[in-house]
Amino acid sequence: MQADPSDLIERAQRGDPAAFEALYRAHVGRVYALCLRLTADAARAEEFTQDAFVRAWERLASFRGESAFSSWLYRLTVNVVFLGQRASRRRGLRVFTTDDPAALERPRDGPGVPGAQLDLERAVAALPPGAREVFVLHDVEGYRHQEIAELTGIAVGTSKAQLFRARRLLREALSR
Amino acid sequence: MMCADMEVQLNEYVDGTLRVAQRATVDAHLAGCAGCRAAVAELRALVAGAAALPKSIEPGRDLWAPIDARIVQGATRNVQRPFWRGALAAAATLVIGFAIYRLLPPSTVHDHPEGTGWVAVQAEYEQAADELTRALAFEHDRLAPATVALIERNLAIIDAAIRESRDALARDPGNVELRGLFAAASRHKVELLRWATRAAT
Repeated sequence: MQADPSDLIERAQRGDPAAFEALYRAHVGRVYALCLRLTADAARAEEFTQDAFVRAWERLASFRGESAFSSWLYRLTVNVVFLGQRASRRRGLRVFTTDDPAALERPRDGPGVPGAQLDLERAVAALPPGAREVFVLHDVEGYRHQEIAELTGIAVGTSKAQLFRARRLLREALSR
Repeated sequence: MMCADMEVQLNEYVDGTLRVAQRATVDAHLAGCAGCRAAVAELRALVAGAAALPKSIEPGRDLWAPIDARIVQGATRNVQRPFWRGALAAAATLVIGFAIYRLLPPSTVHDHPEGTGWVAVQAEYEQAADELTRALAFEHDRLAPATVALIERNLAIIDAAIRESRDALARDPGNVELRGLFAAASRHKVELLRWATRAAT
């Protein structure tokens, strides 16, 4: 991900929607991928992507450049997804129902997407939510267990247990 | 097939999070165990495959228009903030009113729940307050810091009243007037939280 021109961020912080749209265009693919893999649900992923950017706009003033804008945005996205998922679970809404998400079919049709990658995407989408979330954050996104614990509110030990469970289930699924 | 008791160590081994001595122990085990060697190879392939997944997936449609609409809506709401200042004053009045209410003699209190279902009433208030508190925690950064500070001050006053009436009830559980005070304080808390959550969303 290329660095965001700081003047773009500053303009967005001053309330310039055109600058924020440019930031949206630069980051929407990454934010949506994160939401899609965390939820395994294309419709929910679109909702959370919108929520994440609206939240980012509202909180732009609090971004002080201590980390890269992209890191700040992705952490905020993870927060939005987890809080949204929890709220949905409290309200008893559907949050996870797929072992073959249509959204993840799309890469297969695209050029240059290896079949093994698609098999992995599908297997990840079919994981139980807790295992999937930790696997996506740790193995796909590169967060450490301590960071996952801080972001999601689970213990470091739970994060490790969920990761190892996810890997076991994935190895079983991919070896069939 | 991986040895059943090696799952954690092999995962940590692949992640590079084992200490030197532990790593040496796993190395020694691997030297004599083909099943665990195969499992390590699979784990490494899986971790490498996950890291190589595309980091970006474009959504099926352009999401900017609905985001832009919500941003514009938010800007309009910010312009209307003086309205919320009025509502804040109302919230403060509510708390002051409650303080006066507490000073009234018990005969003027109209809304005490009767003994039947008292435990359920308490649980209901607590559950409602908990849910609203969580919802507010999620949304509270949409409120101006001064608003949050006023809400917190008012909640502290109401919580103190709830604590006092709960302590008194612990000493005199059958006292209907104390129950009335507890119910009123709890109701005010729920009302204040409900108002704050509405203001935030």
